[in-house]
Amino acid sequence: MKMRKFFIILSAVVFLFGLSSMAMAKVIKIGGLTDCTGATSDVGKDYALGLSDAWHYVNDTGGINGKKIKYTWFDYGYRIPEALTKYKLLKRMGVIAIEGWGTGDTEALSPTVFKDKLPYVSASFSAHLTNPAKSAYNLFFAPDYSTQARANLTAWFETRWPKNKDYGKRSPRLSCVYSFPSPYASAPIKAIKDQAKMLGFEIGPDQDVGLTSIDTKSQIMALKKFKPDVCWHGNTTMAVSATMRDAYALGLHTDWLVNFWGYDENLPRLAREAAEGSMCAGPAYFIGSDKGMMKTVKEYARKYTPAIPLKKRLKFTVTAWANVLLLREALIRADKAGDLTGPGILHKGFETMSDFAIADGGLGTSPVTYTVTDHRSTGIVPVFELKNGTFHHVKTINVKARWPKKWASQWHGW
Amino acid sequence: MTKKSTILLIVLIFGMGMIFASCASMQSKPTSATFKAPIVALDSVQVTQYNGYWYYSGKIKPTKGKAGNNSAVLPLAFVFNITNPNNFPVKLDGFGFTVAFEDFDVNMVNAYETQWIPPGKTNQISVPSILDVRQVLLSLLVPNAFKVKEKGTNAWALLEKWWTGIPAYNIPIYVKGGAATFIAGEEQKVVSFTAKFPK
Repeated sequence: MKMRKFFIILSAVVFLFGLSSMAMAKVIKIGGLTDCTGATSDVGKDYALGLSDAWHYVNDTGGINGKKIKYTWFDYGYRIPEALTKYKLLKRMGVIAIEGWGTGDTEALSPTVFKDKLPYVSASFSAHLTNPAKSAYNLFFAPDYSTQARANLTAWFETRWPKNKDYGKRSPRLSCVYSFPSPYASAPIKAIKDQAKMLGFEIGPDQDVGLTSIDTKSQIMALKKFKPDVCWHGNTTMAVSATMRDAYALGLHTDWLVNFWGYDENLPRLAREAAEGSMCAGPAYFIGSDKGMMKTVKEYARKYTPAIPLKKRLKFTVTAWANVLLLREALIRADKAGDLTGPGILHKGFETMSDFAIADGGLGTSPVTYTVTDHRSTGIVPVFELKNGTFHHVKTINVKARWPKKWASQWHGW
Repeated sequence: MTKKSTILLIVLIFGMGMIFASCASMQSKPTSATFKAPIVALDSVQVTQYNGYWYYSGKIKPTKGKAGNNSAVLPLAFVFNITNPNNFPVKLDGFGFTVAFEDFDVNMVNAYETQWIPPGKTNQISVPSILDVRQVLLSLLVPNAFKVKEKGTNAWALLEKWWTGIPAYNIPIYVKGGAATFIAGEEQKVVSFTAKFPK
């Protein structure tokens, strides 16, 4: 009898403590790997801060069906061994998804996240990551670099080339400038050349400009021999601005099309008039935009990183928000399905999105679709140009709708 | 013990639990008007281990292990005093800052250890920062390349100066863009901070 009473009392105590621990258990752990101080920190720091701001926003607006996010992130300084170590730490901490950074960590970790079945949402938009058979757990909101490059070249071809004095007399000429050994810079080269061939361009020899280059005169002199009407630059902002400055000084009259991470609010500050007229895909709003939920994005930037003035923030803050709100949606869907595991987040989260508008389109992103066989998020690419130091929309190219057969059967994964 | 007394005992346990819970909630009733910003101040920076200044490119064969672009690590510990001026406890819920040598940002660190600061008291937090020559070299060669050039120096000269001067505390270390998030009840405050060491 005494034992029975003891168990009744014990049950009551356990129940009481159980209630409080249940309340405490409602936390979802998400990890982050960023570069705030390494080789890509000129763009990486802004992206990292944007991720942190956006997770605060997620928690302030209901979390994941009421569950709070615990976001733990590290600056790995673009040192790949450090990224691998921090990945292992995050995994041991029990994170169920990671916000990654660039091509360096993403490609190094891709086989591991595939094996571990851990969703890895990153800022590397390489088309190589869009084939679920090889990299099912690598995801991102933006059109991949190759789709962006195809759209960028097409927009130039349809808006600039008809205004050229040689239009109708000869083919337009394209040259590609990029860091040959860099996986990020070289990722869309095959695609842009394929697009150029399809549109009837003459393609000149490539020029190797390192990511650390601040003197590109020899490459500019080589380009002058071919006289390209348009050049693709595949690097990040520093090398892009150095090349543009040298081209301007040496009288290379060409238009510049730039890869995503080489074109931001710092470009006109660094290259000044040499950057005028350059074009780039804009898969999300620039930081200066006041459209959609940009007011909220800026409020969070002010609130959580008060020491960094808003004028120093870049478009990559918005890019980060888009990736966070994409992952939020996947988590909400997987949680509703009662399956917050890696495969659950992938199959019951991401792969249930069909024409899903992230934040109701409030970040300027195109609707995203992920299927079991295709992780290319979208083929809709708005293209922007730099005019009087500010970014203006030129044209939106729907690569998927324009070339549906090639999109479906030929262009996947490169 | 009768059945009646057993029920009474259970009710008593629940009642006490409710009282404890409500006491806890009574303790954390700060408002945006009464929640004063805690004060964050850098106390010291310690070079926790010194490994000298060296760099081996990936072409050099090491005595043991794999070749790579390996370099001297410079571990630092930043000790901060955090003072809670309120008459209620405050939770530190996020802490991060940028480390700069001269005016070059070299590292960004976060501390995730949650701690409560009692009313009117000062706690200390020690935040580690680990740098190596290779990481900072890349930072100087890419994002800071123009700035290095404008200063009329080069990346290697800066690295040698920092890796030999900082352990002797000859070169000031800056804390920039710091942000500490504090929570009290339902209220949240983000405090920004900067510092220099030695002052």
